[in-house]
Amino acid sequence: MAGFKFSNRTAEEREKLFIGLYKNAFPAVARYVSKMGGTFDEAKDIFQDALVIYYEKSVECSFKLKTNEKAYLLGIAKHLWLKKHRENTRNVPVDNLDIENEEATQASDKKVLNFLQTAGKKCMDLLRSFYYDQLPLADAAELFGFSGVRSATVQKYKCLEKVRETVKEKALTYEDFLD
Amino acid sequence: MRTSLIETEQIEAHLMQRAEPGDQLVFEARLLLEPELHEKMQWQREAYHMVKLYGRDQLKQEIDAVHQKLFTHKEHLSFSQKIRRLFTNR
Repeated sequence: MAGFKFSNRTAEEREKLFIGLYKNAFPAVARYVSKMGGTFDEAKDIFQDALVIYYEKSVECSFKLKTNEKAYLLGIAKHLWLKKHRENTRNVPVDNLDIENEEATQASDKKVLNFLQTAGKKCMDLLRSFYYDQLPLADAAELFGFSGVRSATVQKYKCLEKVRETVKEKALTYEDFLD
Repeated sequence: MRTSLIETEQIEAHLMQRAEPGDQLVFEARLLLEPELHEKMQWQREAYHMVKLYGRDQLKQEIDAVHQKLFTHKEHLSFSQKIRRLFTNR
């Protein structure tokens, strides 16, 4: 299966992909979580996180599936389960501090993200296709109704500038707020 | 493309390490001489980070919608029952 590339252009294609992965791999993950004493919701959360990791790894061009998707997803899920349960039992002050800091950064990111989701959804969707889903330029151009690769590229950079400006403005606003 | 867009493209090439060696040198020199370019680069890096968070957030919503479908729609009943049994017959 080396070099296997799944289809992830549209929301419909991704839905098909995830239904397939769910049917193929979720039973094994759920069986594992159940055996470890976990709940249905825990199995769901862990499997969904594993799917995100699987997806992000798969869109990176360099990623080649060394094993089948079911074994891969089960492997990530087991890793996530063990990590989660190690963290829950950890009670060292230094670790707590690290977690707090991480949460603080995420909170400020979340504010900016919320703003971008409402004020700039069109641009964010376009940028998502380019940078997160890593669609080829021609595919993204067609998907978003551009006349060609050139105009899609121009729009991509316009959107990127807009987001860059928003991120800057928001960061400076929140800084004032904190002062 | 207008000048600012070309610059944005150059910043991207630099951040993603895709610039030609010659262009890379010129760009690095400009970074030293132009503090505002350096600042723009920092914010652009942050913008990519936001796009990643956005993409991940959207993907999670899509995955959750698939979950809801599989565990509520009748056509997937045998699958959902098979999974639920794992957590009830213990």
